[in-house]
Amino acid sequence: MKNDFRLTYPLWMMAFIIMLGVLAFGLNSPITEFVNTHNETSFTIKLEALEGFIVLCTIILYFTLLAIFLVRLNKHNKENPAQKISPFAIRPPEYLEQDEGMTFITRKAVQKVYSFITFALPFLATFAIVLPVPRLLIIYGILAIAFGQYWIYYTEVRKHFKGETE
Amino acid sequence: MLRNRVKEMRARHSLTQSDLGKQVDVTRQTIAFIEKGEFSPSITLSLKLAKALQVDVNELFWLEGEKEDEK
Repeated sequence: MKNDFRLTYPLWMMAFIIMLGVLAFGLNSPITEFVNTHNETSFTIKLEALEGFIVLCTIILYFTLLAIFLVRLNKHNKENPAQKISPFAIRPPEYLEQDEGMTFITRKAVQKVYSFITFALPFLATFAIVLPVPRLLIIYGILAIAFGQYWIYYTEVRKHFKGETE
Repeated sequence: MLRNRVKEMRARHSLTQSDLGKQVDVTRQTIAFIEKGEFSPSITLSLKLAKALQVDVNELFWLEGEKEDEK
C-alpha cells in the first residue's frame, strides 16, 4: 500500500506544478525596467537568453517527467486492473475508496483541503483585486494554492500509513 | 470514543491483519486503522469482525469509560 501509485500521485502533481512555475517564470519575466527619478536615471535588464534556456530546459524536464509518470501509471494499471487510473479522469485519482476505512481517511484529507481552499482562494482574489500585482505573481498564487492542496492531502493521508505493521 | 480489542482477538486466532481483512472484505490498512483507534467501523463491519473473531460485538467494541477494567 505504501507504494500504491495513488498515494504518490499528489507528489507527481506537485512536481508538475513546480515545473509550471518555472515555465511561467521563463515565459513571463523578461525584465525590461526603466527607472527615471531624481537619483537614478535608467537601466534595462534583459535576460532573454537565460529565459529561453529556462523555458527549453523546463519543457524537456516536463515531458521527461510526463513520460515517467505515464510509465508508472501504466504499471499501476497493469498491476491493479480493478483500480485503473485514467490520465483523463475528472475524478481525482488519488482518492482511496476501496472500503470504509480508506474512504474515511480520504474524507478527512479532503476536508482539510477544502478548508484550505475556502480560505486561500478568496485571499488570493482579494490580494489580486486590491493590489496592483503583476500577472506572474497571480499565476504563482494560483500554483501555490494548487501545490498546497496536494501537499495537505498527501501529508494527511501519509500520516495514517506511518508505522504500518502487519 | 470507541475502544476495541481487535488486535488482541486477532492475535488469539493467529490471524494477520491481511487475513482478517480478507475475511471481512476490507483492506489490511482498514484493520490497522481500527486497531489503532483512528477509525470507528460501521455497525456492519463491526458485526462482520465480531463474527470473524468469534466473539460478541460488545466484547470487541465498547465506549471509552464503560468497561470496569478501564476505571
